[in-house]
Amino acid sequence: MSKKYDAIIIGGGHNGLICAAYLAKAGRKVLVLEKRHVLGGAAVSEEVYPGFTFSVASYVVSLFRPHIIRELELAKHGYEVIPMDCSFLPLPDGDSLARWADPHRSRREIARFSKKDSEVYPEFSRVMTHMGKLAKAVIDHPAPNINSIHPKEIANLLRLGKAFKDLGPDLLNLNIKLVTMSALDFLDLWFESDVLKAPMSVSGIIGTFQGIRSPGTAYVLLHHYMGQLDGVFRSWGFSKGGTGGVSMACARSAMSYGAEIRTEAPVKQVLIKNGEATGVVLENGDELYAKTVISNLDPNRTYLKMVGESHLEPDVLKDIKRFKLRGSSGKVNLALDSVPEFSCRPGDGDHIRGDIAIAPGIDYLERAYDQAKYGEFSTRPYINAVIPTLTDPSLAPPGKHIMSCFVQYAPYHIKQGAENWPKYREAFGDTVVDTLAEYIPGLKDKILFRQVLTPWDLEQTMGLTEGNIFQGELSLEQLLFQRPVAKYSGYKTSISKLWMCGSGTHPGGGIMGASGELCAKTMLTSRAI
Amino acid sequence: MPLPTPFFPRTSALCHSMKWKEWAGYYAVCSYETLHDTEYYAFRNSAGLLDVSPLYKYRVTGPDAAAFLSRIMVRNIEKLAIGRVSYCCWCDDHGKVVDDGTVMRRGEQEFFVTSADPCYSWFSRFLRGYKVELSDISDQVAGLALQGPTSRDILKQVCDADLDGLKYFATCKARVNGFEVYISRTGYTGDLGYELWVDHEHALKLWDAIMAAGKNYDIRPAGLDALDVTRVEAGLILKDVDYFNALHALIDDRKSSPYEISLGWTVDLDRAPFNGQAALQAEKEEGSKWAIVGLDIDWPQLEELYYKRGLPPVLSNHAWRSSIPIYTAKDKRIQAGYATSGTWSPILKKNIALATVQKKYDKIGTELQFEVTVEHVRHTVSAIVSKTQFYNPERKTFTPKSSKS
Amino acid sequence: MSKTYDIIVIGGGHNGLTAAILLARKNKKVLVLEKRPVLGGIAAGEEFHPGYFTIGLLHDTGTVRQQVIKELNLAKFGLKTKARPAIGLLSKRGDCLPLSADVDAAASAISKFSSKDAAGYKEYAAFVSAIKPFMANLLNELPPDLSALGTKQLWALVKKGLALRWLGKKTMMEFLKVAPMSIADFLNEKFETDFIKAGIGAPALYGSFNGPWSSYTTINLLMGESMAHEQIAGGPQALVAALEQAAENEGVEIRTNAPVEKILLDTGRKVSGVKLKTGEELKASIVASSCTPHVTFYDLLQPNQISYALEHAVKHYRSRGTTAKVNLALNKEVLFNNVGGLEFYRTGNSFDEMERAFDPAKYKQFSSEPLLDIHVPTVANPNLAPAGHSVLSILVHFAPYNLKEEWNEESKKKLYSIVMKTLENYSPGIGSSVVGSEVLSPADLELRYSLTQGHIYHGEHAVDQLITRPFPLCAQYATPISGLYLCGSGSHPGGSITGMPGYLGHKPSLKIVESSGK
Repeated sequence: MSKKYDAIIIGGGHNGLICAAYLAKAGRKVLVLEKRHVLGGAAVSEEVYPGFTFSVASYVVSLFRPHIIRELELAKHGYEVIPMDCSFLPLPDGDSLARWADPHRSRREIARFSKKDSEVYPEFSRVMTHMGKLAKAVIDHPAPNINSIHPKEIANLLRLGKAFKDLGPDLLNLNIKLVTMSALDFLDLWFESDVLKAPMSVSGIIGTFQGIRSPGTAYVLLHHYMGQLDGVFRSWGFSKGGTGGVSMACARSAMSYGAEIRTEAPVKQVLIKNGEATGVVLENGDELYAKTVISNLDPNRTYLKMVGESHLEPDVLKDIKRFKLRGSSGKVNLALDSVPEFSCRPGDGDHIRGDIAIAPGIDYLERAYDQAKYGEFSTRPYINAVIPTLTDPSLAPPGKHIMSCFVQYAPYHIKQGAENWPKYREAFGDTVVDTLAEYIPGLKDKILFRQVLTPWDLEQTMGLTEGNIFQGELSLEQLLFQRPVAKYSGYKTSISKLWMCGSGTHPGGGIMGASGELCAKTMLTSRAI
Repeated sequence: MPLPTPFFPRTSALCHSMKWKEWAGYYAVCSYETLHDTEYYAFRNSAGLLDVSPLYKYRVTGPDAAAFLSRIMVRNIEKLAIGRVSYCCWCDDHGKVVDDGTVMRRGEQEFFVTSADPCYSWFSRFLRGYKVELSDISDQVAGLALQGPTSRDILKQVCDADLDGLKYFATCKARVNGFEVYISRTGYTGDLGYELWVDHEHALKLWDAIMAAGKNYDIRPAGLDALDVTRVEAGLILKDVDYFNALHALIDDRKSSPYEISLGWTVDLDRAPFNGQAALQAEKEEGSKWAIVGLDIDWPQLEELYYKRGLPPVLSNHAWRSSIPIYTAKDKRIQAGYATSGTWSPILKKNIALATVQKKYDKIGTELQFEVTVEHVRHTVSAIVSKTQFYNPERKTFTPKSSKS
Repeated sequence: MSKTYDIIVIGGGHNGLTAAILLARKNKKVLVLEKRPVLGGIAAGEEFHPGYFTIGLLHDTGTVRQQVIKELNLAKFGLKTKARPAIGLLSKRGDCLPLSADVDAAASAISKFSSKDAAGYKEYAAFVSAIKPFMANLLNELPPDLSALGTKQLWALVKKGLALRWLGKKTMMEFLKVAPMSIADFLNEKFETDFIKAGIGAPALYGSFNGPWSSYTTINLLMGESMAHEQIAGGPQALVAALEQAAENEGVEIRTNAPVEKILLDTGRKVSGVKLKTGEELKASIVASSCTPHVTFYDLLQPNQISYALEHAVKHYRSRGTTAKVNLALNKEVLFNNVGGLEFYRTGNSFDEMERAFDPAKYKQFSSEPLLDIHVPTVANPNLAPAGHSVLSILVHFAPYNLKEEWNEESKKKLYSIVMKTLENYSPGIGSSVVGSEVLSPADLELRYSLTQGHIYHGEHAVDQLITRPFPLCAQYATPISGLYLCGSGSHPGGSITGMPGYLGHKPSLKIVESSGK
């Protein structure tokens, strides 16, 4: 039995493709297996309706690591992200708040709601950018293993300790707050206006089954200020051709280094012999062998489906079962006949070229969460919408537009049972459109086509367990050396020669590419491949 | 996207050079003509009229207004007499400067404060416990600086105030064609001059009145480029150039105390607690690390460097504001500090700079080395530490009719 | 001429008295100033209805630290401890589970409902006792100093880390895993019966602004469990009585009815004494305040006497009170779910219902079915009421301080009827036996006990406010104001009746007195 490949990567999401590219670049023979007909996983562009290319799931690019772009020559392979200039918040009373890259413009907008906040806003950005150094120290390296006394691990721990110490006492203490406080409490340290705090606080809850008042949600706020440290002016942007554009650039890069990629090749299981991964078996029964297997799937799928409980030690099984993957969001994509116009600020001006938040107040967001807690989708949800066609007209026919809406809360476990989601899918879609129509009066007449993805759908099509977009909640006990499980973090698994490279590993979440990159680099430096 | 100031209809019509910059979110003229020289000479020989509306302006009123401002400012505002203006700075807890500006006492319980950075949020943090009303009137009050030797004569034509009796750093209310204007004898040119504060609705009328009256006194609209030359000559420091707002600084090294930026004279320590008092007291006792000094940069040496390359000395007529290393005279490897702004002074015929140097090099007459680049090659020339106030005409403070006599 | 003391302690609660005794023991001249006519603060017993008495605003004394009792020699002054009595966990189905302090007894009681839960409880209790050494290290010692990051401070941190590592790898990893969790997630792993989970988890929510599904509530639960120890016979007021005697014995001067108006500073910004509301001035170069941080810095000092950093820290120290108190005088002995004779009961019923009880607090409303922490002091001490009658001391969660409709007689009446309605679930007909009652809203608590926003713990038990309590500037009991120290529940290790803030808080001030006395 010859092992044709050095590594088989299960799943062609952006992390899997990046991992493949790094390994192929280092001369390894790599095969990527994607179950769907398109690559990208959750970072995928698809022509769901004729002429309209949707970023079906993930819709903006935020923390994609710049060194990956450099090292994998992604620009050459078509990577192009156009930064967003504005965050727009329409309000039900006819007012609105737009926050711009231009600081004075933002100051004047915010001053309408609170003079104090308008002046504190840049101060907050400065502090957060400063603290972003720490986040960078965290996400650009494998997590330290606190159980190991290997000199390399101790050095890694010391490096992290130094990053903390370098913050100085004031920022260190602020960092304690950042990690443990709720997004709202943390913002309360600076701001007084609900109109500002509401849209800012949602950064802390996106993709989590938590409310803006839940402790531990403040940390994610920091991610929004890190882009600037990388020399990138704005951290949020649209990928040319939809978010699938990022994945395709990664795929082309991987192929240019010699990686092999197969689509419509669903893997049924990892082949395990004597406690060691030897390859995979496809749904069609084909067996493929490799020296190592790397899973881009979430920890739940990797361990419980690809490996199987029988191969797991009891404490690993326990930790995998307690790993929280609570989907809390859905996605509604609209194909529109013309530009949607907000009654509070009509026209197709720059204010709708960035992200648009339906988050008109603290209580609104909290009530949306309250419903989800008891197993209902929010009747008035938080919506983060973008109209990428204003920035990238190639996505739709001339004059037509796409509105891509991220919707929270839509709990995977509705009280009727997750498997009954399909029955409520259209009702959920209606809720979203109704909510938007309160701000965009003519919206319903403009809709040519509507795609509704519930957490159930995200699980069924993308393979995200419980529809969790981050392959696991970003709560403290599931980060760093505890992502996904304390005993096997650092991209290794409890099965010899089986590795993980998805968002369910450190640092996890969003289109960052860091998990794929760090997995490949860890494997290469440890000579696992 | 900057906004127009209330004077924009006039300034934009006159700005033939199309040289604008953004100042605090507003359009501001750099120079009306391609070269700013005539505007500079207007400031020094006749009168220049400058739109200073982008400054931030606050009104503080109430029974505790003086106590409240005294708690914030390094100067004791309770001692400021009605009708007087105080130039001062304000500090954080650690005695590091947040911003500088002027405080005008318009009444027993009424003050007018100007600042370079938005300070409403900073001031309002100290409101607890004071019977005070703080309002940001930046968007309601327009400002004009009328500066230069003929400014008093011009102003006399347009208003009813007793300008011959108005002393340096005094303020008064006046009427111009039926509307109210506050006049303060202050400015940023180091010359005789006034600043006028008026409600937006009367702004254009004020501009027109002054320009009409100034016709016979060679008035000129002037921009920020000319102002920058005059302020260096006068040794007046500029926030974000010669020092940084302590609240904006990410590292402590970027912060400065009043003593370190030549504002030690404004600090009044022996009084009720105020922001930064303990730290400033300690610094006064222990000494400061840094000082802002004037540098008189040796011209013959610079000439020599150019001549060696077969060139006449070429200096920009613009004031510069980039950081330039300063070395000790003895050893060019030892950095004594850095110059933060400077200019060729047309009136003094000197190449001058403002520099931050370690305290041990701040004695007047100390020789230092100033880095220059001539034809892409770095050199140093000698620079002598001098007073920051390079130019200080008598007319700046002279009052024709002294109220005492 | 005004009187001079070495140290003035503001507030005659159990922490203030503890600090005063320890300071006086070092031959210092100590004065305690209490604004109320009685000592004890939230630990003071009150006659709330003619002939009916409570034993304190808070009623659990199982948290009093053993080393405080020992070191103050309180047994000598009449303090008696007794085994922690069982707590009746109530379900709406009519069950009452007596949760004994004895693990085996508790587990066997639980096994009547679920054998899985009985096993889960043993596992839970074993985990709690495994982490106790580490928690004790955190609670009983001075907190780490994060105001500077020198070698000394870092070493202290490393020591805390080692104390955790010392628990063994497995316990350490489990602790790191569960501490940030919500109690719902944590207890769902171990238990299946709703009301048992809810009853065990409930204390984690006391004094925090959280529901059972909020992250980091497990750390609060574990902290509370690690502190649980023997009870004081006679409750909080018995503790106060012993402390008062001990104070007298050490020569502490105590003045009640002596509300402080201001802490006085000299021209050098150092403490010089205090001024009473009566205008009387008392001199001391050290003042230790057992009041809340807000009262100490905002009310007792002038605004320009505190730095901006301190101003900001106090402003953002979170102490959103969510607890009300209802005291009931009953004309008979009370049964809950047909069980009588227990001293403590807890309602909750399920995490869902607890979460729903918390939800309204976010919108400035009180729970429509609150979580009740019930104490029946007359079980142990029948003298607190006429013979055959009983007293219920009920802490009601959640009733927010900043109530939208504002706290007044009407809103208190509404709260009272909601509490009664809730009680009816467990003790049908209880309403008809009420002969007297007292409702204390968070606003009342603020007024009576100077608890800022009525917060029973002088500030929320949230992780950041526990690591550096109340905030980094004052986390070592010393304040930025020379001569002013904190020794109340707003300091490490936090609220409830422990005596620890007073015990640990006396040390830094003592150091100063002794060094200046030399």
